[in-house]
Amino acid sequence: MSPDGGLSIVGTVLAVAVGCAAASLWLLLPRGESGLRERAARRFGMLLGAVALGLFVATGHRLGGVGEEATFLVVSLVAVIGAAATIVTRSPVYSAIWFALALAGVAGVLLVLGAQFLGVATIVVYAGAILVMFLFVLMLAQPTGMASYDRVSNEPLLSAVAGAVLLGLLTLFIGRLSAGPPSCCAVPTKAAALAGANRPTDESDEADAASEPAAADTPNTPALAGTPSAAAGSSPTTHRPSPPDMLARDHVARLGGELFGRHLLAVEAAGVLLLVALIGSIAIVSRTPPEERLEARPRRASA
Amino acid sequence: MTPAPLVLDGLVVGAMLFALGLVGILARRNLIVMFLSAELMLQGVSVSLVSWSRHHGDWGGQMLVIFVLTVAACEAAVALVFVLQAFARTGRLDSAAWQSLRESNLPRVVDHELPASDAEALQFPRLTPAGVQPEIDEDEALEREHV
Amino acid sequence: MVDLDPKTLLVLVPALPLAGAILTVALGRLLGPRAHWPAVLSIAAAAVAAVTLLVGLGREVASSADHDHAASPVELTPVTLWQWASIPDAYQPAAATGLDLGDDLAAKAEGLPAAIPFTIGIDLRLDPLTAVMLAVITCVGLLVAIYSIGYMHDDPGYPRFFALVAAFVFSMAMLVAASNFLLVYVFWEAVGACSYLLIGFWFRKPSASAAAKKAFLVNRVGDFGLAVAVFLLWMTYGTLNFHDTLLADGSPLPGILGMERLADPSGYVAGGVGTAICLLLLLAACGKSAQLPLHVWLPDAMEGPTPASALIHAATMVTAGVYLVARCAPLYVACPAALTVVSIVGATTALVAALIGTVQNDLKRVLAYSTISQLGYMFASLGTGTLLGFTAAIFHLVTHAFFKALLFLGAGSVMHAMGGVIDMRRFGGLRRVMPITAATFLVGSLALAGIAPFAGFFSKDEILASLHARGWPDAHTEHHDADPHEGHAGLDLPAAAAFQAVSFRSESDGSAGGADESASTFRTLYWMSLFTAFLTAFYTFRAVFMTFTGPTRVPDEAGHHAHESPPVMTWPLIVLAVAATVSGWWLFSTHALADFLAATPSLTAPAVAATATPHAFHLDLALQGTFAAVAGIVLAAAGHFGRRSDGPQPERYLGPFETLFAHRFFIDEIYTALIVRPLEFVAMLSAWFDRSVVDGLVDFVARIPWGIGAVVRRLQSGLVQRYAVAGALGTLLIVLMLAWRLRG
Repeated sequence: MSPDGGLSIVGTVLAVAVGCAAASLWLLLPRGESGLRERAARRFGMLLGAVALGLFVATGHRLGGVGEEATFLVVSLVAVIGAAATIVTRSPVYSAIWFALALAGVAGVLLVLGAQFLGVATIVVYAGAILVMFLFVLMLAQPTGMASYDRVSNEPLLSAVAGAVLLGLLTLFIGRLSAGPPSCCAVPTKAAALAGANRPTDESDEADAASEPAAADTPNTPALAGTPSAAAGSSPTTHRPSPPDMLARDHVARLGGELFGRHLLAVEAAGVLLLVALIGSIAIVSRTPPEERLEARPRRASA
Repeated sequence: MTPAPLVLDGLVVGAMLFALGLVGILARRNLIVMFLSAELMLQGVSVSLVSWSRHHGDWGGQMLVIFVLTVAACEAAVALVFVLQAFARTGRLDSAAWQSLRESNLPRVVDHELPASDAEALQFPRLTPAGVQPEIDEDEALEREHV
Repeated sequence: MVDLDPKTLLVLVPALPLAGAILTVALGRLLGPRAHWPAVLSIAAAAVAAVTLLVGLGREVASSADHDHAASPVELTPVTLWQWASIPDAYQPAAATGLDLGDDLAAKAEGLPAAIPFTIGIDLRLDPLTAVMLAVITCVGLLVAIYSIGYMHDDPGYPRFFALVAAFVFSMAMLVAASNFLLVYVFWEAVGACSYLLIGFWFRKPSASAAAKKAFLVNRVGDFGLAVAVFLLWMTYGTLNFHDTLLADGSPLPGILGMERLADPSGYVAGGVGTAICLLLLLAACGKSAQLPLHVWLPDAMEGPTPASALIHAATMVTAGVYLVARCAPLYVACPAALTVVSIVGATTALVAALIGTVQNDLKRVLAYSTISQLGYMFASLGTGTLLGFTAAIFHLVTHAFFKALLFLGAGSVMHAMGGVIDMRRFGGLRRVMPITAATFLVGSLALAGIAPFAGFFSKDEILASLHARGWPDAHTEHHDADPHEGHAGLDLPAAAAFQAVSFRSESDGSAGGADESASTFRTLYWMSLFTAFLTAFYTFRAVFMTFTGPTRVPDEAGHHAHESPPVMTWPLIVLAVAATVSGWWLFSTHALADFLAATPSLTAPAVAATATPHAFHLDLALQGTFAAVAGIVLAAAGHFGRRSDGPQPERYLGPFETLFAHRFFIDEIYTALIVRPLEFVAMLSAWFDRSVVDGLVDFVARIPWGIGAVVRRLQSGLVQRYAVAGALGTLLIVLMLAWRLRG
């Protein structure tokens, strides 16, 4: 973005946004209140949350056109608001429903980012399978009405502060990405490293070759590298255009080729993992003697 | 190489989801909501990975997300089995029901008395009876779990 | 007679009882009722050796005296058993170090070598004084041991008693044979320890253990004096040995009581330091010999078994003080002020103890106070500073050992027969029940009272004579001028006249005023001693009449015990009675003891020897003494027979004094108020401080981790989400710190 002066303004705004986000989370999390206090707290919390989101959006990065910007804004807002609602709702069923909404938002974000398969897979697998499993368990185990433990949180203040500080840190470092890595942690691109060895022919190979070691050599610092100051033979300062194969029409076919080509072993292992999880679940469940299962009936009122 | 604004915004969204998921795990006491929050964190990570994949033009990020998805499914299965076991032991989906790791001379942490909830018991609609009322065993009606 | 080398015999005298003690300790339980054999046999062998030494040395003294008409010092070269300590260059005398110690010490220090090593060897010496003491110790010890076979017959601590008696004989023998002040100190303590163990023999009785503690603590006060005296002696004379030694380079180091220093007219330090040494030694002697003000332990020491009382508190241990002063005669003679103090202490103690003894109803207590009183006589005699005074004191020591041991053993016999009762008001007329005991007790009492021809008469007469000689010097000077050589027991040096300058009786030294002052003091002391003789006879015969005459009354505790003691107990009584009868007359008439003792190197010092007088029997003094004694007996008899009841009751005649005497002049109460109570208070404060402050501090330090833990422990609530929050915050903190470092 802009040089350091602008970055400090951004930093201040981000700090304020983080503070608002922490306060809003704290207010929104269930704290065992009821009545007027609770409603007032929730409303004020929502207000603060909106303010925080607004500030985050304000410091966001300008995309290409209004349409793209609006799309991305809408889906990301859906995701974030759905996630926030998931964690602050008192009833766990509502929580699951909001989670579904968040999933929808996430799928939208993924689609905007160009991951067509994943966007759909998120909906199918998560919302279709995993969420339904959660709902089944809730049906089995959730007491009617609101349990006492749903109305209270564990350390609301500290958790909100932890989450907000984490968010602030991450956003700060993400913002720094545009400024480049600090002097200590510059990582050369693969292209620079293989400058003498390999002569990449087309842009896609170059892109492939350049990004792999960068992803592999990422040091454990927030100022992630991957933004080398010199790239072999391409313009370094402007952002690269998206590689054409990802956004191609046969995206899924290419993804399939990549998956079953380079990552075949991992696919097999994942299959084995699924099998093991399945057998394991059954084994754990079947070991419980029948009389112990559900011996304590779910309470009718708050437990 | 500076990432594209889209990528950066995608990273920010991923970070937000991750942070919100973290807050949910740390703060909420219902085991199911805790696991939902864990899934939220995984979503955040997925978004970040896809953003990076978009930035580098590399399939690696998306591959990882596929496997994350797979593992999340397995994890959900096993975890929910555990939640049910925990529920069978204590009769509650409360993470604060499990406190035996505390120091031997500390008392159990007990919730202070909560004010009465003003959320009324949900009134489910009652349909007008059409036809013959089926015979409902009282015991069975009581035994049936409710949401 | 065993014909052994004297040095071997000298070593055997202490070594045999030590072996006996060790054997008794090792085999006591095994031997059971025969546990007395090792101790008795070893003491008997030691007695034989001691008597052999005495006889041999006596022959040597007699032969040397025959040749020279004078007593030359006779001593055996000290036997060194082994070198205990040797530190080279331990002492640089004041002259070398430039310390200002005053004229006496500076003058003395000039004669010392530049650097003196500190060497202590286990040296044993033999000279007439030592020989006499050894003989007395071992013989009385043997008789007491034999007596104890019967007395301690049924006691469960039978082997322990004999082990202690043998150990005591060893310690006392070493004390009198040691040739070194440090060894004297060591065995001074050792006899104190044996005394403590024997007084507290029946340690389960609270009064016995309390009495033992009291004895030990009071003795400590005296031991402190001895320790400081040893330090001063070392500083003044550069050595602690009695005998002369050689340094490494061959130059001589004169011992404190060695021949070299004794022959030197200015060999001994006078003035402040010298007087201090003498007074400190007197303090030590007061502690051990129960003189004022440290006499309080001896009456309480009667809690121990009677044979122990007979051995330790009558015959031997309490005479260690007398021995010490006699041994250090040259030091005392150089400080006339100290000598006067010795006499005053002795005579006062004698009087006070006799006064207290007149109202005691416990037979053993009477004898205890009598012991204190007789020891006072010995000190009074020592304090005259004349050769007659020193030898009279030792003579009285010997006779006192015999008759006091006899009296104590007789009291033990009575106590044994009366089933442990010793209060004279509860029994009477025992001469019909135990005739032998009564007869021997009567002999001992006559000796104690000082009736001719029993032993006490002669020794007491000599003491009174020495006091008289100091109080009325003119009366005795005539004797001296008239017979310069006949029967002279002094050192006949051509320059004897030169030493008259340092003798007391000369008026030419210009300090006529000083001589007159001391003379008046000694006059007072003489009359005090005469009165004390009267009291001695009185209370002794009061005890005799109360116990053995009148209607026969036996207390209930006696049971079937009320009969004469078995022969093992009566034979020692008889032997001692014979000794008490014969020894005085024999020793006096032959002047054997006086001549023998005059050959002791300490007493051949010119300053001491110059005070020698010819042996004269002072009839006037003898009559005064006998008159006092007879008056006492008559008064006792009048009191007893006149009333036809429990015995003389001096309470009626004394009036208010009776309370004073009965409460022992309230000395114990004064000590309790002045010393014991403040110490108890300090101890209480210290205990409080230790408990509250010191322990409190330690506990506080111990509670710090507990406190920290109590606070930190609350973090472990068992709620996993709280742990997760902590983990998350911690991780974020680390990330923040890293980010801070990496910015820019």
